[in-house]
Amino acid sequence: MDDVVTLVDVRATYEGERYATLAGVTLSLAAREQLAITGPNGAGKTTVLEVINGLLPITSGTVRTLGCAMTPTSHRLRSQIAYVPQNLFFPPDTPFLVRDVVLAARFGKPGRLKPAMAAERRSVDRALEAVGIDALSRRPIGRLSGGQQRKALLARALAQEARLLLLDEPTANLDPTAKQEVANLVARVRRDLGAAAVVVSHESGPLLEASDRAIRIESGRIAGEIELARIIAMAR
Amino acid sequence: MFGLPWHIILPTLLGSLLVGAMCSSVGTFVVRMKLSSLGFAMSHAAFAGAALGLMLTVADPIWTAILFAVVMAAVLGPVSDLSRLQVDTVVGATFPLTMALGLIFINKAPSSGIGSGALSLLWGSVLGITMAQVYVLAGVFVLLVGVLIVFGKEFFALLLDRKLARASGLNTQRTFYILLFLVALIVAVSLRVTGGLLIYALMILPASAAFQWAYDIKKIFLISPLFGLLAALSGFLLSLGADLPMGASIALCCAAIFFGSVLLSPKRRRQAA
Repeated sequence: MDDVVTLVDVRATYEGERYATLAGVTLSLAAREQLAITGPNGAGKTTVLEVINGLLPITSGTVRTLGCAMTPTSHRLRSQIAYVPQNLFFPPDTPFLVRDVVLAARFGKPGRLKPAMAAERRSVDRALEAVGIDALSRRPIGRLSGGQQRKALLARALAQEARLLLLDEPTANLDPTAKQEVANLVARVRRDLGAAAVVVSHESGPLLEASDRAIRIESGRIAGEIELARIIAMAR
Repeated sequence: MFGLPWHIILPTLLGSLLVGAMCSSVGTFVVRMKLSSLGFAMSHAAFAGAALGLMLTVADPIWTAILFAVVMAAVLGPVSDLSRLQVDTVVGATFPLTMALGLIFINKAPSSGIGSGALSLLWGSVLGITMAQVYVLAGVFVLLVGVLIVFGKEFFALLLDRKLARASGLNTQRTFYILLFLVALIVAVSLRVTGGLLIYALMILPASAAFQWAYDIKKIFLISPLFGLLAALSGFLLSLGADLPMGASIALCCAAIFFGSVLLSPKRRRQAA
């Protein structure tokens, strides 16, 4: 089966930066696989995700995502990728209900003129139920705790029916119980959608332990593959 | 009514209501996206364009106002993207330019100095509008509704979070540019009613007031134009009843709605509890 993600000698530089954030990264992700990316702050972990979903243009190399060349204008392709950015937190006065935040994840799909139909709303309800926050669906998103907001973002991935999950530090600043819940949810989302996942984290934990493989990035390069047993041992 | 004939009252009332509804609708975007200086910049661009129209003695300066505002919209987005600066910062850079151009055009206008034409652009002169101009406003209103229907999902996602919207497959840059054009067009056609200096009130205050009443953006989208209509209607009545300038009366009513909403906001009560 074709790889879901293929990066070949990818270099990328943020605008205004003198040095490349990614300095020749080559990696692949098989269907249904979960890849963990670890490394110190500023190593280029988030940049890998932004290159995979085309939010950051590359300066050289090749990026293929879901079998297609990925560019910043690959909007349709991106509609099949669920992205949970790092440190995304909705402030208390955010004027959006939880169910609308989840529903908005579907708006990149074809059928712009079509109003949100009952079927779409049901898929949102199912996603909220799956992540266990269906009782909060009519509450403002900004009134939820950090952990609940993370769950809402994972519900977006379910509602989006994504084929690839890109999760950037999804358990950062969460307590151990919430970390375990998020890890269980990611496993459930992957199982329900048959999706592959790339998880970025600079700390070990249940989400990394649940990965099939882990790589370490340092100074924009892949420093090597890490044995999962070592990650689990580090966590204990 | 108020000693004025209906052929003056009717276009005045309709024009005020259309401008009230349109400005407060796009105001919801402007307030939510923290682009409050945008209305200011667009109104000054439209003012400069209208001043150019006066200088060139065109039949209706509103068309040169639209041209200038649309050019401003075409410039703002790309310049902001290219320079990686916030739109507000780019607005700050263009504001003195359009203001200076406006003053130069007025100075060079045939009836040199700030004549009644220029003054009406600054302060508004809704009593002078005709049914033909109301039809133009109605046309832009229909366009606004059409754009909101066609791009409703994009706008909704953009208002939630631009990065999330882009990551979920939406062309946020195109949507943002459409929004800029919409604001430019509405500001330009509304210039005659409220004037360049007071249009800011109608764009920002009803929307800001609406945000005081709800946590649901869908409700805010309904409340904001209702407040805009209320401000336009009450400003219209105040102006005719107390013999005050129309644009200033509408702006006063906008301010009253805003401060009243801040005082009575259920959000404030909930936070205090």
